[in-house]
Amino acid sequence: MMAKKKNVSSKVFAKQKNHRRGLLSFFRICRYGFDSFIRNSWLSVAATAVMTITLLIVFTTFVAQNVLTNTVGDLRDKVDMSIYLKTETTNEEANSIITELKKLSSVRSVTYVSADEARSQIVEANKDDNDVLEAIKAATNKNPATLRVIINDINDTSQLQDFVDNNTLLKDYISSDYEPSFAGERRNTIQSIGRAVNFAQQVGIIAGSVFVAISALIIFNTIRMAIFNRKEEIQMMKLIGANQSFIRGPFLVESIIYGLIAALAATAIGFFGLYKVSGTLASYQISVQSTIDLVTQYSVVIVLIMMAIGAVIGIASSLLATHKYLKL
Amino acid sequence: MILLDRVTKSYNKDTNPAVDRVSLFIEPREFVILVGTSGAGKSTLLKLLTREEKPTSGKIVVGGIDYDTLKDSHIPMLRRKIGVVFQDFKLLPQRTVFENIAFALEIAGMTRREIKSTVPKVIELVGLTGKEKQFPHQLSGGERQRVAIARAVVRQPKILIADEPTGNLDPRHSWDIIRLLEKINKYGTTVLLTTHNADIVNKLKRRVITLEHGKITSDQAQGSYRQ
Repeated sequence: MMAKKKNVSSKVFAKQKNHRRGLLSFFRICRYGFDSFIRNSWLSVAATAVMTITLLIVFTTFVAQNVLTNTVGDLRDKVDMSIYLKTETTNEEANSIITELKKLSSVRSVTYVSADEARSQIVEANKDDNDVLEAIKAATNKNPATLRVIINDINDTSQLQDFVDNNTLLKDYISSDYEPSFAGERRNTIQSIGRAVNFAQQVGIIAGSVFVAISALIIFNTIRMAIFNRKEEIQMMKLIGANQSFIRGPFLVESIIYGLIAALAATAIGFFGLYKVSGTLASYQISVQSTIDLVTQYSVVIVLIMMAIGAVIGIASSLLATHKYLKL
Repeated sequence: MILLDRVTKSYNKDTNPAVDRVSLFIEPREFVILVGTSGAGKSTLLKLLTREEKPTSGKIVVGGIDYDTLKDSHIPMLRRKIGVVFQDFKLLPQRTVFENIAFALEIAGMTRREIKSTVPKVIELVGLTGKEKQFPHQLSGGERQRVAIARAVVRQPKILIADEPTGNLDPRHSWDIIRLLEKINKYGTTVLLTTHNADIVNKLKRRVITLEHGKITSDQAQGSYRQ
């Protein structure tokens, strides 16, 4: 019984010892990787720089996509469809139409501008232009009341069109002088901006992928050169009984370091650049604030994601290089 | 300790084999000198022993390990039982004497405490006490070779293979190295030395195996060598 117990405890002890040795080897491999990162400083700087540019492009693509999507979203919110009602329509009657309109799934919001409000808005907008003011005073025709309808998707107006054509309640109050209208040209412009944004996103994704491939190739080459540079050292390591992980591991660690440093550098440059250009962009009516809020709020997550991307590029290219050029 | 049975190694089917049906038995604790001109097959023979090369045919057994049944994943374990010393030392230039020797223990997963107690003893054995913190470029050729020998024996291998260890050294330093190898042999390690130096071979009066064109042409218990 005692012997058995002793046997079990010695097994546990041996297992713990193995575990400790494994951990020790892991730390040593990391140290060797770090050492060679420092030793081959020029190669390291070059590889890290390329990786930084790649990650910066990934970051910029993400930010640009976010900014452009927000900007188009903001512009879309400014597009409304105007349905003109007869001047004599009362507020109650207008409200019942609004209730009907709001039931439509494609409608986001409806605002009502009565005939008097419409008139005073025009007067307010043209208060410095006496000619216009005179013309309004002299005009015999009355301003219509307006329902401004904002819809979810400016490309899908069919439901609203159907409502305008067939709703019986609306038929009694709709103005016969003015056709319902979209903010005509603005809508076209916004649609073309939308298309440009889609195009820019695709270009960003392609450029990002190309740079990811280029930087993977450069790291692959860096590791390959490091393997050739250290041919004798590797040979010696093999002959004194180093196993695979001890020989390949440091190269892997080295390229993970490239990725991690590049991720920190790219994120720092990216954030700095974004804050720096935000003022200029905002002056061009580009909605940059919500993106800044987003990246600031999730800065830690962004750094971690960038590090993960950098590490994955490093690991993939160095695994490829060591498997191709490091025959054990 | 070392058994080779009709071992042949051909790199190319059209040329003569680098090692041609070599059979050889080396006892534990023996000190054996392998001589032969360049291209005689000495290096190939040593590469077969360290499992850098696989034989085309024949059987190799070293320290009870049959190479035919040796898995690739066990090769590092085999190599930890064989110490190797090279003509060009192959030290890590950015590491100190202590670190170069400790490296062999680090890769075997030894703890810092074990390393700290083992390395100074080996440094003392090779006569480099006081030079632990120096870098290879601060040492003479002979001293560098001592570091290389210390690294090879620090794990107490059963066999030490010294491939032309005196090839880059002047006669005085060469003899220092040979005396050191004899000392290591006296402590119980089988030593297999290759050399071109006739003076060393003739004065040592040890077993001498001569290789020519990949074949053993002589095997004398107290041999001599003429260049």
